[in-house]
Amino acid sequence: MAVAWIGNREALIEHAAAHAASLLSSSRCPVFSFDTDIDGTRAAIALAERAGAAYDHADGAALARETALFTDKGAMTVAPGETRRRADVVVIVGELPRIHHGLVGELAGTVPDLSTGNQREFFVVGPNGMSVPPLNGGRKATQLSCGQSSLAATLAALRAQYKGQRTSQPVSNFNDFAKALAAAHFPVFLFSGHAAEGLALEMLQGLIADLNRKSRASGLHLPANENGWGSTLASAWMTGFPLRTGFARGFPEFDPWRCDVARMIAAGEADLHLRISATTAQPKEKKRRIALIALTKTQEPVAGAAVTIAIGEAGVDHDAVVYSSRTGSLRSIDAQAASQLPSAATIIRLIATHAFAEAPPC
Amino acid sequence: MLTKIASGDIIDPVNGRLGKGDLWIKDDKIVPAPAGGAADRIIEASGCIVMAGAIDIHSHIGGGNVNTARLLLPEQHAAHQVRPATTPLSNAGWSTFQTGCLYAKMGFTTVVEPAMSPGAALHTHLELADIPIIDKATLAILGNDDFLLSMIRDDAPRTMIEDYVAWTVASTRALGVKVINAGAAAAFKENVRTFSLDDVVPSYGVSSRKIVKTLQAAVDSLGLPHPLHVHCNNLGSPGSADTAAATIAAADGLPLHLAHLQFYGYGTEGKRGFSSAAARLAELVNATPEVTIDIGQVMFGQTVTVSSDVMRQFSARGSAHPKKTVIHDGDGNGGGIVPYSYGKDFYGTMQWAIGLELFLLIDDPWRVFFTTDHPNGAPFTAYPALFELLMSREARTEMTAGLSSSALALSTLAAIDREYTFEEIAIMTRAAPAKLLGLTDRGHLGAGATADIAIYRRDRSIAKMLGRAAYVFKDGDLVVQDGEIIHYRWGKALRLKPPVDKAMVRRLEDYHQQRYGLSLDWFNFPDSAIAREQPFGEVPCRT
Repeated sequence: MAVAWIGNREALIEHAAAHAASLLSSSRCPVFSFDTDIDGTRAAIALAERAGAAYDHADGAALARETALFTDKGAMTVAPGETRRRADVVVIVGELPRIHHGLVGELAGTVPDLSTGNQREFFVVGPNGMSVPPLNGGRKATQLSCGQSSLAATLAALRAQYKGQRTSQPVSNFNDFAKALAAAHFPVFLFSGHAAEGLALEMLQGLIADLNRKSRASGLHLPANENGWGSTLASAWMTGFPLRTGFARGFPEFDPWRCDVARMIAAGEADLHLRISATTAQPKEKKRRIALIALTKTQEPVAGAAVTIAIGEAGVDHDAVVYSSRTGSLRSIDAQAASQLPSAATIIRLIATHAFAEAPPC
Repeated sequence: MLTKIASGDIIDPVNGRLGKGDLWIKDDKIVPAPAGGAADRIIEASGCIVMAGAIDIHSHIGGGNVNTARLLLPEQHAAHQVRPATTPLSNAGWSTFQTGCLYAKMGFTTVVEPAMSPGAALHTHLELADIPIIDKATLAILGNDDFLLSMIRDDAPRTMIEDYVAWTVASTRALGVKVINAGAAAAFKENVRTFSLDDVVPSYGVSSRKIVKTLQAAVDSLGLPHPLHVHCNNLGSPGSADTAAATIAAADGLPLHLAHLQFYGYGTEGKRGFSSAAARLAELVNATPEVTIDIGQVMFGQTVTVSSDVMRQFSARGSAHPKKTVIHDGDGNGGGIVPYSYGKDFYGTMQWAIGLELFLLIDDPWRVFFTTDHPNGAPFTAYPALFELLMSREARTEMTAGLSSSALALSTLAAIDREYTFEEIAIMTRAAPAKLLGLTDRGHLGAGATADIAIYRRDRSIAKMLGRAAYVFKDGDLVVQDGEIIHYRWGKALRLKPPVDKAMVRRLEDYHQQRYGLSLDWFNFPDSAIAREQPFGEVPCRT
């Protein structure tokens, strides 16, 4: 079975990696996008440093909103385990990514054993008709909305009403919410950058801060993409900065606009794109103006790619360390169906050894 | 390879070796002078002092809270000097890579991250694995976790608690145990806002004192070399000296280490209700031989406070500079990130003076440890300047010129003549930390010791001399020359491996299934997850 291609031609992995390295070495403005495990991220960032590349998650917009909450404003957050054991009021803020629906269902199917009331009440904030994760046991969440107003506007109204201020449009079911908060010991707001704009995330944190003046409350961060948040953490410790960092000037610079890889490609700034993702669909641009090196789980070359190398999926084809929003930290997972496919990290390091005389540090 | 370090001024208090002489290294160990003396490499060290590699027992260099601080403060990288690109990623701002390089350049070869949340052990070790050159270690945090508090509340047998502590240390690959504001994080979740030594965690009916004493006894009984590492209650509060004094008294004959005592050196005298209690605390430490302390010296300028004392950090949000914070309620402690700038005003001057008073008034350099509680009191890059202050009364006098005179008037600092000697520095930063942590292979220059060696060229400026080592060897590899990294390598994380009781593992499996809906496997990890060759080095427990 072929696992590497130069253009549409089958090639040995070594040759494909060497060709990828030569493209990388001659690139004036390379960009990396990835959706990978921690080891893959470490290898990609180390290569980016050598290549002078900018890097981002393969679907970085939502992650960038979440990152901005931390870089610009800060937050009050709580661990998922503590949410399960302590949250007596759970507030779902906006639409959550599908990967977190299981956790929400689990919260609905359990009671908080560290709360004296041993019961849990659910609310959902957002416009009427928004998608709500299914709750176990036929439970229902009380909707808090201002009609079709945005999430940020609804949260602003909610915060204002909580503080006794007047609003142009009242939040539906506010009295139920206020009553639940008054009785609650530890309300938790589930949030994500998936559908929430930066202003909404900031307004939510304002509400949580208001609640903490006299009682306790916090927010459970459910990342838009778990691999993406894992990569954010690894990027922070390796470079001091989150994703959307670039090495164009020889040292890392974090700039969420300038190093937005999707923007750099669309604007024609980049001349080479190294895309690393075993699972995410590869972009199919007919009039590609930049060289694409695609590392993906595939049995055929990616259309338009200068180089394609097949990689395994973390936790499926090989053991891995990944971010788990179920524990709120990194987790080691075993391969579900170990295969001979190399990991992303292995191929990235192979490219690095061809491209640079001195091996990268990771 | 046989290396001779020739004609250096050797300072090795452990082996009583003080004076000019040669030191020999064979591969990664220090060896006696060989017969014949034909070295493969000779390092000329005349005009230099030669000490063991330094050991930092309390520096927040990795883990969830440190990394969150990085996320919170990307703008602070502008404060970091851009470094030459001779070493991979060494020019990255506040990164793991820079941490290892900067420590090595100062002659530090082992650093302890003192606050690892057990649930984030894998994350912490992955970060530590990316810190080059030096060896690392961590202390696992206990004392606010439901499992332990429930056992204490239910009067569980002493052995059961010891089994839990042993499992925690073993599974998290820790070198010891730390308790941080015992019980306060649990109480904070129930909306308690202040918490002292004899206060009780509401849902458990367990006092902070009881938690500390329980863990202290367990650590001692298990033979963990490092005593329980205590972050006391009421950090940073006026009057916190009373809490520290009560905690020192609670040691009660068993070893106990109090972290960053400076942050508890505060009395309530004066019109501002904030004064130095350093002399009182120093006297107590001097009179309590089972107690060791580190300082947590404050130096002036911008930094960020990173602590698992979530209650304290929550209360400090108003002083954040810049105005943004992260407060996290974790499964045990959680943590808080509050950026802060130490100014040369009354309060900043008082904190600075209190730290120095403690350094200079505690007599025994074997029981006082050199820390800034990085980054809480100051970044560890302030160490050279701090060495100068300890070793030069003149430097202290010069420094006070621009400080708050009203604060200095309430301090005894000006009346203290003591200047640390190089021998005392070698004890405080090498020999004593090794002893405190149970690291018999380092902290000295005797035959058989690991070849962790720092060589400093004498200079009128102590800060320049100790901030930029002439040579540094790590495990016998020459890694620094003339203050620059010349060889890049990976160190290990030093860990204990106490035996784990199978019944405790079953109990914890049941607990995690019932309480979290997760198998214990979610929190365990194999060494291979670190993706480095031999990421850990084992340190034996006391027998």
